[in-house]
Amino acid sequence: MQDLLAEAAGELFSRHCPPALVRRLRGGGADDGLWAKVEEAGFLDALRPEAEGGAGLTPAEFLPVLLAAGRFSVPLPIGETAVARALLGAATPPGPVLIAMPVEAPLQARIPAQRPAEWAILPGDLSLLPLADAQETGAAAPFERRLEWPEASIGQKVPEADWLLLGAWLESAAMAGALEKILESSIAHATVRQQFGRPVAGFQAVQQQLSVLTEEVFAARMAAQLGSLGGGDGPLGLDRARVAVAKTRIGLAAREAAGIAHAVHGAIGITEELELHLSTSRLLQGRALYGSADYWAGWLGRAFLAEAPVDFAGTLDFVRQKLAPQETA
Amino acid sequence: MIGALALGSIPAADEAFRGEIRDFLRARIPSIAPERRARSWMGFDAGFSRALAGRGWLGLTFPVEYGGAGRGPFARYVLVEELLAAGAPVAAHWIADRQSGPLILRFGSEAQRRFHIPKIVSGTSFFCIGMSEPNAGSDLASVTTRAVPEGKGWRLNGAKIWTTHAQHAQFMIALVRTSGSSADRQNGLSQVIVDLSLPGVTINPIRDLAGEAHFSEVVFEDVLLGEDALIGAEGAGWAQVNAELAFERSGPERIFSSAVLLDCWANYLRERGADAGTERLLGRLLAELATLRALSVAVTARLVAGDSPIVEAALVKDLGTSFEQAIPALLTEALGADPDAAPPPGLLRVLAYTAAMAPSYSLRGGTREILRGMIARGMGLR
Repeated sequence: MQDLLAEAAGELFSRHCPPALVRRLRGGGADDGLWAKVEEAGFLDALRPEAEGGAGLTPAEFLPVLLAAGRFSVPLPIGETAVARALLGAATPPGPVLIAMPVEAPLQARIPAQRPAEWAILPGDLSLLPLADAQETGAAAPFERRLEWPEASIGQKVPEADWLLLGAWLESAAMAGALEKILESSIAHATVRQQFGRPVAGFQAVQQQLSVLTEEVFAARMAAQLGSLGGGDGPLGLDRARVAVAKTRIGLAAREAAGIAHAVHGAIGITEELELHLSTSRLLQGRALYGSADYWAGWLGRAFLAEAPVDFAGTLDFVRQKLAPQETA
Repeated sequence: MIGALALGSIPAADEAFRGEIRDFLRARIPSIAPERRARSWMGFDAGFSRALAGRGWLGLTFPVEYGGAGRGPFARYVLVEELLAAGAPVAAHWIADRQSGPLILRFGSEAQRRFHIPKIVSGTSFFCIGMSEPNAGSDLASVTTRAVPEGKGWRLNGAKIWTTHAQHAQFMIALVRTSGSSADRQNGLSQVIVDLSLPGVTINPIRDLAGEAHFSEVVFEDVLLGEDALIGAEGAGWAQVNAELAFERSGPERIFSSAVLLDCWANYLRERGADAGTERLLGRLLAELATLRALSVAVTARLVAGDSPIVEAALVKDLGTSFEQAIPALLTEALGADPDAAPPPGLLRVLAYTAAMAPSYSLRGGTREILRGMIARGMGLR
C-alpha cells in the first residue's frame, strides 16, 4: 500500500512537476494544472476520515507522498492542505492552505516564502485567512513572508491544535525527500563528471564524502519514519517528542548533506541552471521554519529532564519508551 | 544501490525479556563504579560472565542441542542493549558469544561444535580474535602468520597483535596463511582455533593509553596444532572472516560505547539543572540516539528476515561510532563551559576514560575509512 502510494506520487510529480515548473511556481507563476492533478489523485483528502470521504490514512501511511513531494521540490503546500482538511473537515475551502507561524501581534504572521497558496491558518488567532487580503509588513525576509490582515478578513475559525508540531512534521518529511534527491544527483554527477582522466567517483576522497552523505540520508529517512508514528497525543495522533527527533535529526542531516552535495558538484552546483539548488534551498528553508533543530532539541532535552527518572540506563529507557515504535508488551 | 530501511520494532516476546535482565542488573550495577562501567564491552569480569551463564544468557541464540537457549536475534538484541547501556563488564565472554560461537556453529565440524559451544555457554571458554598483525591492519589480506601442514596437523609461526584480552582467553580463532604467499592476497588464508595453553604461545600484554592492558601481542613459535584446529575449509578463511565481521557490525555494540558517560551526565544535569544550551545538547544527543537505535533495530529485522544487509550494517556502524565519539567530545566542552562550576570528580573520571578511548571506536572491527569504502561500493561508486 505504501509502496503503491510512493509510486503514484513519484510518477505524478515526475510528470507534472518538472524543475521548470518548480522555478515558475516559486516565482509566483501558474501551476499548469498541477494542483488539480494532486486533488484528483486524492492526496489532499488522504488524512481525512473515510466517513468524510477521505482516505483515512495515518501520518505514517501518508509519509510517502510527503517524501515524494520533497524529492521533487514541489512548492505547493500539499501536506499542509491535507492536514488542514483533516482538522477543519468539510468547512475547509478549496485551494492550497499554508500553516503560518504566529508573531506577537494579532492578525500578523510569518508564512513560508515561495510556496503558492490561497489560505493561511493563523495559530495565534485560530483563524483561516485568505492570502489575497494580506499585506506585507516591513522588509522582506528570506525563507518567509511577513504578513498582516485587516480585521474584516476574520472569518472561519480553526481548531486549537499544536500547529507548530504539524508544520515541523511536514517540513521534516519534505526535507527527508529532498535529501534523497541530492544523494541521487550527487552520485549521478560524480559518476559522470571526469577529472584527471576518470570519473570523480573513482577518487577515495570523493567516495568517503558520498558515504557520509549516504549515512545522513539514511538517518534522515529513519527519523522521518519515527516522526510520523502514531500513538501520541498531538494532532493526527502525532507525538511531539518523536517529531522533535525528526526535526532535530533531519536538520542536522540537512546541514551536513547539503555541504557535501555542493562539494561533490563543484562550481556547476552553484549555478542557477543546475537543479541542485532547488533541493538545497528547500533544505535551508526547512531547517529555518517551524522551529529549527535548536528549538526542537531544546524542547526534547527539557522533556527528558522533566520526565525521565534518575537511573543507570535513563537515556535508553527514554528512547525506548518515548521515541521508538511502540513495542507492545 | 541500497534502499531505505523500513522501520522495525522488537517483538513483544523478546521485549518481555527485558524486565528479567534489568532486575539482574539492578542487583549488580550500582555497586560498580561508573568509571569501571565506562569500559563498556572492554570491562573484564569472569565472575560476571559466569553469573550471566548461570542465568542461561550466554549463547542465547545458540541451538539448544549444544547448550544454547535457542532464542532469536531480537532476544539477544535486548540482552546486549541492556548490558551495554548499563556498562556491565561483559568482555570475558563477549567475543566468544558474539563472534567465535556463531562462527564455530556455522563453519565448524560437529566435533568442534560439541567441544567448544558448551564451554562457551557455561562461561568456561573465553575466545579472542587473531586478525591484525604488526604489518596487517586494515590490509588484512597481507597476514603472514603461517600454518604449515605437519603430520595430520599444523605447525604455526608468526604473531598477532592488538588482540583484545588474549591474556585472559583460552582460545584464539586466528586468520593465517596455509598456502601460497602474501602476493596471493585473499587466496590461501584459513582460520584455525589455537589453544593458547600450547607450548610455543607467548602472550605479551600491551599497556594502553589509559594505563591498562586490554590488548596483547600473541607470538607463535613452532606451535603444533592438531588436525582439528582448522575451522571451516582450508583456503576459505577470507570469506569466513567477512561473514564473522558482518556479525560484528550489526548489533547495538556500535551505539552504546559512551552510554555510561551520557547517563552519568544526564543524571548530573537533573541534580544541577541545565541552561538552554545544555538542554539543546542533551536533546540533540537523544535525537541522534533514537534515530541510530531505530536504524540498528531495522538492520536486525532484515537479518531476522534472512537478508544479509552488510552495507547497511557498515553504514549504521559508522554513524554509531561517530555518535559514540561525539559524546565525550561535546561533553568535554559542556562540562567546562562554566569556569566557576566544578563538576563531580566521578563524572570527570568517566569523561576522561571515555574521551581517551573513544578513538578506538572507529578502529576496532574495521576502520571508519574501510567502512566508508564498503558503503561507496554499495552505492555503486567503486
